[in-house]
Amino acid sequence: MKFLLVCGLAGLLGLLGAGLIGIWPRPEFPDSDPVAKAWGVANAVAAVVLGVRLWDTIFEVLVYVVAMVGVRFFLLGMRWHGELPPVAETPLLRRSADLLLGPVLVFALYLVASGHIGPGGGFPAGAILGSALLLLALAKGVERLSAELYEPRLERLEYVVVVFLLFLGAVVLILGVRAPAAFVAANLLVAVEVAIGAWAVLHRFASARGEV
Amino acid sequence: MESLSGLSLAVVLAALGLWVMVSRRNLVWKLLGLGVASGGSILFLVALSHRPGVRPPILGLGPGPAADPLPQALVLTAIVIRFATLALALALVILLTEHRHTQDSRRLEEEE
Repeated sequence: MKFLLVCGLAGLLGLLGAGLIGIWPRPEFPDSDPVAKAWGVANAVAAVVLGVRLWDTIFEVLVYVVAMVGVRFFLLGMRWHGELPPVAETPLLRRSADLLLGPVLVFALYLVASGHIGPGGGFPAGAILGSALLLLALAKGVERLSAELYEPRLERLEYVVVVFLLFLGAVVLILGVRAPAAFVAANLLVAVEVAIGAWAVLHRFASARGEV
Repeated sequence: MESLSGLSLAVVLAALGLWVMVSRRNLVWKLLGLGVASGGSILFLVALSHRPGVRPPILGLGPGPAADPLPQALVLTAIVIRFATLALALALVILLTEHRHTQDSRRLEEEE
């Protein structure tokens, strides 16, 4: 095992050295502006993620959903019997969560709405929405929040979002629609998807906590 | 040579993650090492797609060549998949701990 480790480390360092000496000439970057212009957006990364490689993104979201279903499935029977260890709740955390929640939500929506003309997009916005939910959960307690955010309904929404995303992919790829509105819609769907998945993971791990 | 620091840090992170994955016997530590190693590979791709003097791959952000958007798009995919697979692996570790009462990979192998 140690031999493998040393070999792997030496290989990595050798790769780094060979790259830095300049054995492989680094090619010029291709001009990405025509790609962005062809899809009618300003952000070339968005044009690649949601345009040229839309199949890739759709199947990535499918992999994400499958992994989240796996997490739910494996943790389904993992209810800690007895009293759950309490989550520390402080007034400072609750007040600051109240203050921060609005700006964080608005920022996530901004990233969704402007993801095609600037930095942003569905995946970061989804992560920010998920961390807003984490903030809420820290402030209010996971049990109270999961009673309010009824999970089976969210789960159904998750699958509906996937269906909508497939539909949108068909519209963009088969009918050849290239409009900024399609990008905003795709960003919104991806953000909802990622946020629900992150919340599901957080909630499942939190309700399966305790000594095993 | 330009983005030397980013590439070097990426390789150091990958090596650190690899070291933790091999040398630690606890499964959670192994998963942490996997996370660090994949973070290193992500940083490697991002550092390759950037050079000094290039602008972000967004139209209308000044003159000059734009950074390559393709590695950034790949990295976006990699980050999300990494999150999902790490969550799934941690769930499996919880399940394993519930059934076998250990997270030690060597003891798990010996008990086979």
